[in-house]
Amino acid sequence: MRRRPGIGGLQTAAATRDQYRLVGENVARIKTDLMKEQLATFRSQLEDFARKHKNDIRKNPTFRSQFHEMCAKVGVDPLASNKGFWAELLGIGDFYYELGVQIVDICLATRSLNGGLINLQELCNLLCQKRKAARESVTEDDCLRAISKLKVLGSGFEVISVGKKKLVRSVPTELNKDHNEILDMAQGQGYVTVEEVKRRLSWSSGRAIDALETLLEEGLAMIDDGHKDGKRRYWFPCVSFVTTS
Amino acid sequence: MQKLGDFKLPHFFNYPPYFTLQPVKDTRQKQVQLWKELILDYCRTQKIFVIGLEDDFPLFSNSAIERSLSHEARDIFLSGLVSDGRAEWMDKGHKKCLILWLRIQDWADCILRFVKDNGLEDSVMTVEEIRSGIESRGTELHGMDRTVLMRALRMLEQKGKLAMFKGSSADDEGVKFSA
Repeated sequence: MRRRPGIGGLQTAAATRDQYRLVGENVARIKTDLMKEQLATFRSQLEDFARKHKNDIRKNPTFRSQFHEMCAKVGVDPLASNKGFWAELLGIGDFYYELGVQIVDICLATRSLNGGLINLQELCNLLCQKRKAARESVTEDDCLRAISKLKVLGSGFEVISVGKKKLVRSVPTELNKDHNEILDMAQGQGYVTVEEVKRRLSWSSGRAIDALETLLEEGLAMIDDGHKDGKRRYWFPCVSFVTTS
Repeated sequence: MQKLGDFKLPHFFNYPPYFTLQPVKDTRQKQVQLWKELILDYCRTQKIFVIGLEDDFPLFSNSAIERSLSHEARDIFLSGLVSDGRAEWMDKGHKKCLILWLRIQDWADCILRFVKDNGLEDSVMTVEEIRSGIESRGTELHGMDRTVLMRALRMLEQKGKLAMFKGSSADDEGVKFSA
């Protein structure tokens, strides 16, 4: 007689499943606990580290950037919130907000001189001059971090790379590829002429003149008719005018 | 940093495009502003009262970068000062410009301070004495332009702070300060 599936078999199967589940849950719990414990240790270690080196982080730019790098690797952003324990611990959030405000200040003050495009290096120099009293040195890395925080304001602060240099843009001007190429070219001697642009970039007259005129109207370029060869030079304060000595 | 005597020149003085009038409005405004400040500053430190447009005024050219201001540019910068009330054309042809790094009113205040500091109330001085006498040595009045001084004195005279009278010769005028 063939045995038909009975209620007993089903019950055994269910009991087995339950057993497996229980064991599985146990293992998972142990693992999570372990993980939590590790995280807590890590966090306290990081806090300890930050507390111990608080002054170094605040005063020493190299150390600061290494600290940021380390935080980034483990997925912690000390700037994410001003209310977090990092801010309480280091005041590091404030540091970058303060820097941000000063950067906006400098960009506005120099806008009429450079058309709202400033060399990162020069911005950094001006920043250091401005902060002389604070005596905490500031690197380009810090500037970049502070500027990235300014983005949430939607004010169009942006860092653009032109050739080897980094420029900080504080006006909503859209620079296209042609403009970038001209700026790149101007980095050598600080100015370009229409002929040079045509020759070096193999552009037509129209294209060269058009791009230069736009840059002029945006206040990013200045003309110079004073050279003895009589050729008009277009100077770019953002790559060549130094207000700091 | 480039210097003219003991005067420290600003950075833009070494940047060639500032010697060409800029066609774009905003850039031009800033350019004119910087030049106006430079001219006033320079005149104040060097005690210069009159700039001739055709003269070799040291600020009008920079040999280090081989640039100089066109006549038009000079006229525009100085006219900017004139409309700010910091300068006056001395002739219709805009050939000479009187620079007032202190306004006439400020010069008048200067004179009153000088009178008070030296206890000269109720005393008599000649105009020349005010400009080049021992009393004014070391003050801003020393070596000041005669035209400017005369205008400041007249202003004070109208206010009843002093009385002016003619001396024996035409260029020897006297001033009596009132208490």
